[in-house]
Amino acid sequence: MTVSRRRLLLMAPAMLGAPMIARAAVPFRFGLTPVFLDNDATVIDRLRAALDTERGIDLVQRRTYAEITGLLLEGDLDAAWLCGYPYLQHEDALSLLAVPVWQGAPLYRSYLITHNDDPATGLPDLIGGMHTFSDPNSNSGYLVTASDLARMGTRPETFFSRTIFAYGHRNVVRAVAQGLTRSGSVDGYVWEALAAVDPDLATRTRVIAKSELLGFPPFVARRDRADQPDVARFKDALLGLRTTVAGQDALALLQLDDVVQATPALFDGIRARMRDVAG
Amino acid sequence: MRLSQMPLSLRVPVLAAGLMVLVGLVASQQVLSALGAVQDARLRELARLHIDGLSVALGPFVLRKDVWEVFDTLDRARAAMDGQRLLLTVVSDDAGRVLAASDPLRAPVDSAMSEFVAGAGSMDTVSALGSEPVVRVLAPLEYQGRTIGQVLTELDVSDLVAERRRALWILLAGNALAIGILSIGGYALMRRMLRPIALLAAQMARATGAPEAIPGHRVPRGDSELTRLVQTYNAMSGAIEAKAEAERRLAERERFVSLGRLSSSLAHEINNPLGGLLNATDTIQTYAHRPEVVRASAALIDRGLRHLRDVARATLDQNRLDRVGMPLALEDFDDLHILFEPEAHRRGLRLDWTINAPNMPAMDAAPVRQIALNLLLNAAAVGLSGGKVSFTADGSETSLRLTLEDTGPGLPETALRRLLTSEPMPPGGGVGLRLVHDLVAGMGGQIEHRRTVDTTVLTVTLGAVSSC
Repeated sequence: MTVSRRRLLLMAPAMLGAPMIARAAVPFRFGLTPVFLDNDATVIDRLRAALDTERGIDLVQRRTYAEITGLLLEGDLDAAWLCGYPYLQHEDALSLLAVPVWQGAPLYRSYLITHNDDPATGLPDLIGGMHTFSDPNSNSGYLVTASDLARMGTRPETFFSRTIFAYGHRNVVRAVAQGLTRSGSVDGYVWEALAAVDPDLATRTRVIAKSELLGFPPFVARRDRADQPDVARFKDALLGLRTTVAGQDALALLQLDDVVQATPALFDGIRARMRDVAG
Repeated sequence: MRLSQMPLSLRVPVLAAGLMVLVGLVASQQVLSALGAVQDARLRELARLHIDGLSVALGPFVLRKDVWEVFDTLDRARAAMDGQRLLLTVVSDDAGRVLAASDPLRAPVDSAMSEFVAGAGSMDTVSALGSEPVVRVLAPLEYQGRTIGQVLTELDVSDLVAERRRALWILLAGNALAIGILSIGGYALMRRMLRPIALLAAQMARATGAPEAIPGHRVPRGDSELTRLVQTYNAMSGAIEAKAEAERRLAERERFVSLGRLSSSLAHEINNPLGGLLNATDTIQTYAHRPEVVRASAALIDRGLRHLRDVARATLDQNRLDRVGMPLALEDFDDLHILFEPEAHRRGLRLDWTINAPNMPAMDAAPVRQIALNLLLNAAAVGLSGGKVSFTADGSETSLRLTLEDTGPGLPETALRRLLTSEPMPPGGGVGLRLVHDLVAGMGGQIEHRRTVDTTVLTVTLGAVSSC
């Protein structure tokens, strides 16, 4: 079958428009890492209701930070709620959209927790015990403790008898509360939220150390797509959560105050810890 | 009280109740055994489902030795079954090190699995039949066709144990109640059924010396074995009474028989003096004018009449009906002498009569006289003319021994059996010797027989036998 030049010219606009039509049919894909109370269907529903776009929104969950980060970098996600640590790991490829405000500031801490009857008072007391991290790419659930140990001249693999990754801050609290490991590194925001919604679990653990204030896990998009209209509208939706009923519901459920704009300098504390670990 | 010493009317109900208890125990054991089997089947099915499910879920994690995922799986399974039978699940790798447990405080990571397997059984042998509220099951963890670790599960079987214990108590209480009611009812029924036996035993046990017939209104109605038994007993009792009455009459008659046997001799004893007496009266009539002749004849008449008087008195005494209960006295032996002496003379026997009795024992005279007279008559009957019969009575305050010796040919075997034994005897033959035997036995005495070369010696001991 032969195609005439005129016919080809007539088909060109349709061929060029096809991706745009197909793209318009795909919902906005927003990746979620377990930076909050994962496995909570209500939270997912409220977020979906609050952030719904003209395209619709698809909330994508994966078990690890690496998986979500990978999907984002490969373009399979339009935006993601990442931790500051993976954001900084890929700072050159990612653009900061907004940061949640918790307890009046876009900051949070990493908590070092033990079972509530454990006599330890600080990280040095935990030597030789089993320790639970949340995720190898989590700031509060790994980097803070790893960098503290690096400042002590040691590493998690040698300081602790065994370390495990629970892939979820709530799982870290479960592991320590039930005695699977002696201690754990957990997101302070998650621990405090748990203390409010599931005190039976949280009160079986005790916070023995808190990090300095660090940049709260941000919403990010791939830098080369940050200026696209749907990403910009999504950013506006994030920043306007406080102005809508659905947004207020979602923020209340997440125990957050607001979502604000921020600069990369917010994450300098994490950046410093990354340097300590890298040695 | 031992069972064999219990009365039949108590023993039978007790044995029946015992059998009911035994049946109840066996039935209870069967029920509990069946309940235990059902519980074990449930328990094994649960253990198998749990472990098989875990094997599927945990296989990849155990293979990777992923502590968190193993724990997370166990913890979610525990939460899903919270408050139910599973108390603890421990998973180890192929080296026997604990990867994770549903309760890490009890089974820490990296501890040895061997610390927890004590007392654990396999899925096919796990049982809740013991009294332990917790049982353990140890099973290999299979994945992709190979064993990659072990799973230990602690199962709470306290509800099963309690259920079985509750069933046991219900069975015990139910059986005890049923057996109690049945036993009481059975006891009452058996007592009622066996009442004639008790009545029979009571009648036979009365210390009257002879069985008494059961009154007609107490004889069980109908035609049961017990009715016939009581009727037979009554018939037997009547027969015994009749026999005793017959013996009494026989003994009464024997007195007359004895005198009958003596009558000829006594007639001679009376007749002989009569000739002399008549001669004396003729002499007095002929020689009435001769006072010396009259006096001599009168004296002769006097002696004759006195002799006749003694014979008549002895005869009367032997037959007096009012002698029953009169005590034995020396005169009784004098009477016997008077009565028997003519018979001895008539048979040409020499009679030796010796009474050594300064004191007589307190006993009835009538049976003693009858015993002595019968033995004397028997000796006279078997004695040979020209022979000798000796009678000796040795008396004291407590006993009396009569010894009779004769030089006759001796007593025949049948006569000895009549005298010395209580064997039933065929009809015919005299009753005198059997009467002697019965009278001596009735008085608690003894009879001894001894035969020397030409003499038969019979000794009768009455009263205080052991001292003689």
